[in-house]
Amino acid sequence: MPETATEHPQTAVADPGAAVTAEQRLRAHVETLERRLRKRDEQRRAMLHIMGDLSEFNKRLANQRKAMLHVLADYEQDRRRLAHQTERLDSSRRALLHILQDSHQDKLRLEASRKAMIHIMGDLRETTAEMQRREQELRDKQEQLVQAGKLATLGELTTGVAHELNNPLNNIGLFVGNAVDLIELAVTEKGQIVRELGHAMQQVSKATEIISHLRTFGRAAPVSREPTSLRQVIERALSLMREQLRLREIEVTVDLGPEEPVVLGNAIQLEQVFINLLTNARDAVAEAPRKAIRIAGSTGSGAVEVSLADTGHGIPSGLEQRIFDPFFTTKEVGKGTGLGLSITYGIIKEHGGTISVMSPPGEGATFLIHLPLAPAGTKDPPHDDDAERPHR
Amino acid sequence: MTTTLSVLIVDDDPALLQALPQALRLRMGGVTVETADSAAAALERIAVQDYDAIVTDIKMPGMDGLALLAEIRTRRPDTPTLIITGHGENELVVRALRGGACDFIQKPIDRGYFVAALYRAIWAHVQNRRVKDRQVALECCAGELERILDGLERELGALPGRRAP
Repeated sequence: MPETATEHPQTAVADPGAAVTAEQRLRAHVETLERRLRKRDEQRRAMLHIMGDLSEFNKRLANQRKAMLHVLADYEQDRRRLAHQTERLDSSRRALLHILQDSHQDKLRLEASRKAMIHIMGDLRETTAEMQRREQELRDKQEQLVQAGKLATLGELTTGVAHELNNPLNNIGLFVGNAVDLIELAVTEKGQIVRELGHAMQQVSKATEIISHLRTFGRAAPVSREPTSLRQVIERALSLMREQLRLREIEVTVDLGPEEPVVLGNAIQLEQVFINLLTNARDAVAEAPRKAIRIAGSTGSGAVEVSLADTGHGIPSGLEQRIFDPFFTTKEVGKGTGLGLSITYGIIKEHGGTISVMSPPGEGATFLIHLPLAPAGTKDPPHDDDAERPHR
Repeated sequence: MTTTLSVLIVDDDPALLQALPQALRLRMGGVTVETADSAAAALERIAVQDYDAIVTDIKMPGMDGLALLAEIRTRRPDTPTLIITGHGENELVVRALRGGACDFIQKPIDRGYFVAALYRAIWAHVQNRRVKDRQVALECCAGELERILDGLERELGALPGRRAP
């Protein structure tokens, strides 16, 4: 519009009407311009306002950017951590995979093992049954062996026992014969006859005791375990051997100390142990210059130790381990069965004990028996009043 | 056998030493029985007394009957000795008889047999002694006769007119 006011200045001067019109137009133009100015000013202010807002916004944006940068940094860190973790996870996964594979293999192997185990269990069951059968068989055989051993021992004892039995029988005959004579001679004094018969009765008791002892010893009774006095066992064994030992002039000493050792066991079997050991000792000292057998015992906590030593020629070195083997004997053919010590060993083992032998060169043999005592509170063994003291 | 007889019984069984002497006293009137419980004790008694017979068990601890028998044969060779043995111990019986035992008695002892054997042994002993006594007497007589004969021969030779042979 400014061009319009300046285009025609000569026209306004030449024509006053035209001048007015031009003025008017000019004025209108000025107004328009002012209006435009005002509008522009408003726009400028609005723009300034907007600019201020924009600056504010920009500032906020900058802050947000900074915050975003932080977030980004955090994020980057997280990402890295995550990547790391992912990596670790990946290796774990791979490891797991391996493990799983291994596990699978293991499972396969386990399955195979399980199958094998089932087979083995089956075999084992059969073997166990077989073992039990064998064990029972062995137990039967052992019992038979013990019985055979007892009978063998009895056989060996027979000569001595026959002599021992012959004496009271002979004496009974004499005493009764004397009584008969006294009656036939019409002796009025009863006391003399009664005395003779009393002596005969004593001899009858003696013979009865020997026989009943032999019967008890030889009986194939089921093996029971009872509290058993070791002292009585030894005395009873000695009573069976007494005659043989006495005739061979073998000095026997027994020293079990002040205690009364009681073991949980079988009196007959334990008696057999001592008869076997005494028989061996008897034969061992046969040619010795001094013939003696010493039985000593000591009772400790929970166990008793009994030693049986002889003054014989001892056991040749190297044979100590073999003497407990079945059928091993150093005696002449026909003199020993070789069963005595193996049965002895078996019996002691069955009683939870041990037996060993010591035979230093130039000295006799000493057998050492170690037996657990009967647990406290078990019933005392029946006292054997009839057991005679076998000491000479 | 009118005089008192003395017998020694040797055994290690005290009951037998009660029973057997009593049996002898009842069955052999007037016999004196002494006892010894071991061979050693028996030898002590034998040293101080001459028995008419000795009866000993064969099995005894220490010195047994056979050894005692041998000792008796040395110390009292004339005393008859009887041996008591167990039943069936034939070997021992033979050894005893060879060793000079005059008889043996087996256990269980039959009293009748025992007394008879003892009587016989003592009778034989007494007879032996009598024979010996008579033998001694006879020897004495023979010596006397020899002397008489010698004397007579000497007297005969001294007679005048008799030529020496």
